[in-house]
Amino acid sequence: MRWYFRAIGPKKIFEFVALVVFVIFFMGPLLNLAILAFTGKWNYPDLLPSVWSLKWWTFVFQQQDIAKSIGLSFVIAALVTGISIVLCIPAAYAFARIRFPLSRFFLFSFLLTHAFPKMGLYVSIAVLFYKFGLMNTLAGVILIHIINVLMFMTWIPTSAFRNVHTAQEESARDVGASPFRVFRSITLPMALPGILVASIFTFLNSLDEAQGTFLVGIPDFKTMPIVMYSIISDYPAYAGAVFSIILTAPSIILLVAAQRFVSADVLASGFQIK
Amino acid sequence: MSKSFKRGILGISMVLPSFLVLVLIVVIPIISSLRESLKNDNGGYDLSNYTYLFTDKLMRSNIIFTLEITIVSSILVLLISYSLAVYMRFNNGFAVRWIRRTYMIPIFIPSVIATYGLIQLLGNHGWMARILYHLGTDSFPRIIFDMKGIILANLWFNIPFTTMLLGSALSGVPDAVIESAKDVGAGRMRIFFRLILPLTFKTLLVALTFVFMGVIGSFTAPFLIGPNAPQMLGVSMEQIFSVFQDRQLAAATAFFTFLLCSFVGYFYIRSMIKEESVRSS
Repeated sequence: MRWYFRAIGPKKIFEFVALVVFVIFFMGPLLNLAILAFTGKWNYPDLLPSVWSLKWWTFVFQQQDIAKSIGLSFVIAALVTGISIVLCIPAAYAFARIRFPLSRFFLFSFLLTHAFPKMGLYVSIAVLFYKFGLMNTLAGVILIHIINVLMFMTWIPTSAFRNVHTAQEESARDVGASPFRVFRSITLPMALPGILVASIFTFLNSLDEAQGTFLVGIPDFKTMPIVMYSIISDYPAYAGAVFSIILTAPSIILLVAAQRFVSADVLASGFQIK
Repeated sequence: MSKSFKRGILGISMVLPSFLVLVLIVVIPIISSLRESLKNDNGGYDLSNYTYLFTDKLMRSNIIFTLEITIVSSILVLLISYSLAVYMRFNNGFAVRWIRRTYMIPIFIPSVIATYGLIQLLGNHGWMARILYHLGTDSFPRIIFDMKGIILANLWFNIPFTTMLLGSALSGVPDAVIESAKDVGAGRMRIFFRLILPLTFKTLLVALTFVFMGVIGSFTAPFLIGPNAPQMLGVSMEQIFSVFQDRQLAAATAFFTFLLCSFVGYFYIRSMIKEESVRSS
């Protein structure tokens, strides 16, 4: 055995151990949920379930509030994504292409959304919402969701627009294209991957947002993560695992679909100016 | 009207809507919560809410508990992420390729789900306990509903994101620079401390800010896997606000977490602004 380890070298062994630790730590919890969701019976200390079944799936879909929360979550996430695109994309274009006074001040002001610990900020907002009657309203929930996305929804497209070479826009202008035409057929298509990644990230962020909604949306706006809080304490683990898969599925599907565009560099540009 | 003036107006009007939202949901709440936190029971203004924070025994143990978890988590996350990112930058083996392909997945997993998965995996009679049982160990340490659980959850949430930030910074270190340093005979350690670390130091600071603030302001993980007492400040704030309905005290606690973070936040904002001014000059 020892000659074998020596033959493949300490570096390979180290890498293999690192991979195993990595997979167990990060994928273990998810794999465990995936198994639980299809479990019929699983006694301690068996390694794997003794009976597999789909009964918890029908159980979950029969619960009224669960089905309702799925619809509500998607409506809110779509609204948040739409509103933040309308708000942030023009701003991103302005930061990248137009010279205007105080532009640096405005660009950095978005740091404020990430310069305070989240729960502290949410409580401060809730104190204010309470005064203006925005607690337990759709507008309040949407505003709370927008805080998290405002910065990267502006910064990722800003860096995407900045990466479009002005030479290309200028040569299009030279052959007689109108400014709008240039934006539509040159600038926008080239910046689209960045905008797409930012939008997907926004959509998923809103779909997953739990703590802010928990504070200002209770009792009428029970999105999926909020329902998950009560499922964890009130339902058997199998039902929780099924619901976890339903809640995770949109992330996985969108991530696989946009795999080509999602890279560390694009995402990182949403959290720091490089 | 001159052309540049018109463009200036255009630029500002494109930025203004999102800036106003920012003022509405961040600036005004923070100012009003400061005011709220200074109110006392008789309608006057004083520091009574803050003195309560530091004199109440439970609150004080919550603050210490939160700081302990935050500092331990930040150090662990930065150490692990930085070594992982450096290793991935300069190696290209089979395992590295797989880690590179999958390490960003946890960023997109809802935090409630990840926490639930960790509870199922590491809880009493969870999967891990079962696996260890078959390997011959009968005793399993208490991880869930304990400080260890919260720290593990913090590692789960923060390592992928931090590795992503640092990985992107490290890929910005040009190979040519490292090659030429090797050519003049610099050793590995020297290259790391004289070249790689200084070139990525700023991103390390950004990462520290995100981890530190993320952990201090976290709610989901401590709410679901933390002990009943002491609690992390995020959980205790939510209780003060929703259960005890004491808005003044909740605002004071929130403002106190801002003060705790203002130090790291200051360095983050300053380094960002410095960078941008280098670019525009």
